[in-house]
Amino acid sequence: MVAFMTAQLTKTAGLRRTLRQLAAIAGTTVTESIQQPVAFLILLSAVLMTLLVPVFQFHRFSEDGRLARDSGLSCMLVFGLALAAGTAGRSVAEEIARGTAAAVIGKPVARATFLLAKWLGVLGVVALFWCGVTAATLVSERCSAHFLTRGDFTGYAADPVTLLLAFAGTGIALATAAVRHYMWRRRFGVSAFLGVMASQVLVAAVSGFYNRFGQLYPLVGEAACEGCGGGHAHGAARLVFYHPELNLRVLPVALLVLFALAVFSALATALATRLQTGAALAVCATALLFGLAGDSLWAVAPLLSVRGLAAGLLPDVQHFWLCDAIARGGQVAWRYVAEAGVYALTCCALFLTVGCAVFRERDLG
Amino acid sequence: MAMDTKNVIETRGLKKTFLDFWRRPTVEAVKSLDLTVRQGEVFGLLGPNGSGKSTTIKMLLGLLHPTGGELRVLGARPDDMRAKARIGYLPEVSHLHPFLTPRETLRYYASLFGMTRVEAAKRTEELLAMVDLAQASDRAVGRFSKGMARRVGLAQALVNAPELLVLDEPTSGLDPIGCREVKDLVRILAKTGVTVLMTSHLLADVEDVCDRVAILDGGVLRAEGKIAELLRQPDAVRFLIEGLDDEAAESLRLELEARAGRRVRQDYPAMSLETFFLQVVAKEGRARDFALAPFLARPAAGQREGGTCAEA
Repeated sequence: MVAFMTAQLTKTAGLRRTLRQLAAIAGTTVTESIQQPVAFLILLSAVLMTLLVPVFQFHRFSEDGRLARDSGLSCMLVFGLALAAGTAGRSVAEEIARGTAAAVIGKPVARATFLLAKWLGVLGVVALFWCGVTAATLVSERCSAHFLTRGDFTGYAADPVTLLLAFAGTGIALATAAVRHYMWRRRFGVSAFLGVMASQVLVAAVSGFYNRFGQLYPLVGEAACEGCGGGHAHGAARLVFYHPELNLRVLPVALLVLFALAVFSALATALATRLQTGAALAVCATALLFGLAGDSLWAVAPLLSVRGLAAGLLPDVQHFWLCDAIARGGQVAWRYVAEAGVYALTCCALFLTVGCAVFRERDLG
Repeated sequence: MAMDTKNVIETRGLKKTFLDFWRRPTVEAVKSLDLTVRQGEVFGLLGPNGSGKSTTIKMLLGLLHPTGGELRVLGARPDDMRAKARIGYLPEVSHLHPFLTPRETLRYYASLFGMTRVEAAKRTEELLAMVDLAQASDRAVGRFSKGMARRVGLAQALVNAPELLVLDEPTSGLDPIGCREVKDLVRILAKTGVTVLMTSHLLADVEDVCDRVAILDGGVLRAEGKIAELLRQPDAVRFLIEGLDDEAAESLRLELEARAGRRVRQDYPAMSLETFFLQVVAKEGRARDFALAPFLARPAAGQREGGTCAEA
């Protein structure tokens, strides 16, 4: 009995230590990664490119919102992939080359724990990026011109106020980061990254306090949101206090993109145990291209063939790219999102298992 | 072959051959190394560049996989987590996260040993005071000088109060005061029962602190033993007499020559440059207020001042 209890306590203590190690390494990876100027530049580029879409829209055909939405989601996928591969390369490949990984593995940290923690850290950075770009995509779609018919107005109406707030928020975030760095020596990269991300979320939330004509609520419902494109029923006249004219049907689609980025983070982390950042990025980009074209390349390939093997090993990115599903008022079912999440988790587990096996045999130092 | 579990480090026929991409052998870094380090001793691993010192240390820590032979550290395999939790390691170059401050760095390493936040914070403050970095604890480590980074590296090696401390070039990049402090720290730790394995290119440092040394060359153990035994000149005797003037010294030398029937050499021993430097800095009042200051009063080994030395 005593031996059993001792064994259980040892197991519990071991588990607790492993969890602390995971949290510490992942947390440090996030801090170190978002401090890097390249991480902040990737986030800033993705946010600005998403926000600039409504500014440079010339051909309307009632597709302005869709164009902004698709652009935002595309930026999320492409820039997110670059961020995931770059962060994994820096935090795994470069730490192995520099000896920082050896200093950690020299402590009572299992190599599998180290790699899993690094993936969690990379995923944390990608998740922060995702929050910022998702908010920017929602704002960008709202700011695009929408065709409205109201008592006093018929035609296309954009939302310059929110767009201005989004750009101003980005600028304020940068200025705040600079001041914090100058006055209190706070890390500029971390402040700027988190500031830009938070500013977009804040603008998306604040935009619910006024309509696209800049009129502050409370307003009567009909005037408040007619033709807002929010995918909800517009009832009889009622008083509206807060109405975010955001297309929230984007959220499940954006979540699927996050799943894809989680899969590529796992792939990049596994590759970084042997390859440098550039090579890992190139492999991830190739996997993305083949993954997007998977349906046409090997959809009908027999299982026991080269094409069938490729289809089995490469993640099918089409499962995660459902922009068209919400094009004409459609909605992605949450059940599908959950199933895609399980698929993504399986892919991550597969890549990380291979990565651990490779990393286990690697000489460090 | 059975290994003695009382030995802290024990290797038998340890080999390491590095392989290329096609798994062909490229460099045989360590060739059949037999080494024993006992509990509580300060053991020096010496050798020229490429002799296999760092490779041996990395195998002890489970960073490199041995190609052959046996290896036990604290009675366990090098990848045993319970054994690793009792080891402190200072790498040859302080591989630290450049954007973290010393405080964050030490808390990070403390958490790797499973310490709670409170424990980690307490241990961090103790170590920051010990390595005299409390004032600079909120600056990024990447902006530190090599010596300051080395101090952070040393603190992280001690974060778990280790039973075995592995120091790879511990005084590299440190000023003479820092070197002296590290050497004193090593001696203090050894007195408390900590086993220390260190490598250094600075032979004087090794001579000052190590009980035993092993000399590697080309991956082969060339010599091993206690420093006093290895360096002893069996056919010579030295006397040290303080307060003797030149005339008395000369007459004593002649007397000794007549008695022994051999040539007697007389010289005036000088203090080491390190001792002189430390005295000058102390006089100028620029010596730092180290947390280890109480231990610095102990005279360093081999220190000789104000005496006449005669060697027969």
